[in-house]
Amino acid sequence: MYVAARVDEEKCNGCKLCILTCPDPNVISIDKAKNIGINQARCKGCGLCVVACPKEALTVS
Amino acid sequence: MNKSIFKITPCFEDIMPDEYKELVESDPFGKGLGVSQLGTYKELLEEHPLCAGCGLALSLRLILASLPNPEDTVIVGSTGCSALAFPQVALHNIHSVFGNQNAVASGLKRALKLRFPDKVKDVVVIAGDGATADIGLDMVMQSWFRCENITTIMLDNEAYANTGGQESGMSPQGTVLNMAPKGKKFPKISMPEIARESGCAYVAAISPAQPKRLEKMVRRAILTAREVGPSYVQIFSPCPTNYKFKPQEMVARIKQREKEGFFKSKEYITTEAQEYLAGLEEGKKDE
Repeated sequence: MYVAARVDEEKCNGCKLCILTCPDPNVISIDKAKNIGINQARCKGCGLCVVACPKEALTVS
Repeated sequence: MNKSIFKITPCFEDIMPDEYKELVESDPFGKGLGVSQLGTYKELLEEHPLCAGCGLALSLRLILASLPNPEDTVIVGSTGCSALAFPQVALHNIHSVFGNQNAVASGLKRALKLRFPDKVKDVVVIAGDGATADIGLDMVMQSWFRCENITTIMLDNEAYANTGGQESGMSPQGTVLNMAPKGKKFPKISMPEIARESGCAYVAAISPAQPKRLEKMVRRAILTAREVGPSYVQIFSPCPTNYKFKPQEMVARIKQREKEGFFKSKEYITTEAQEYLAGLEEGKKDE
């Protein structure tokens, strides 16, 4: 089973800390409205973004 | 002038891979993008085979995002974990013999100076701790003695991680790894001090836990190498696979090591380099 990060859009405030701690490129993207998108096919599920998120908006499952 | 180095020949658009099309559509070349704009453009690194939670991968990603002009940069790599990621980097890069990276880069920089005298071409060496501090220390130090205009970036994961976990010169004293069961007998080599004494104009040690600071240091190192002299940046990037901690604890591990006093971010600048950098940074403010 694949493990990948998921985002809870209600909790996310678009601070971009997850983008700066993700070791894999092009996984987490942000648009002009500060909406976070996760490319689950590229995510390795290491969980660094989950630890970095101050709003607890991310989960790995 | 369009600075993109990737183009698709007309009528071949539909058979190109999606990653390549993305790179052509939203590349960062010539736009002055940096670490703070990450996530809004296609990065120069593509899906790499490094482990989940690898500090080295994060460092490499941040370095590639903070290059001052990526379209005119040539990267010289060497054997090690970082070499596994270089085939996925969308920049000109050379893989050299283990430890030979600074000798290759010296020749390359001289040739580029002769071939393109009126263009700025950066040569950046990105190698692991084995290639820089153990096997290639001779070539690295000689390139500093000769004052070659190249930047050396060491991704310090404190072990030969790629071959099963042998101790390297950069492992801390007492480290027990898969292939170092008795523990390391001597302390970590202090490379920043060696670099400072060997004639580097700019020396820095940093970790990917401070991405903005890392960007600033990498930029300063490359700008110093253009005019003043050689520069060296050491980036501490712990290895979850060989040091046997959970991948999500990588950044916490850096902070723990910082607290214990084993890792410190440092910066040494010669007065000449400082004047040069101050001039450049003032010029930026005026614009």
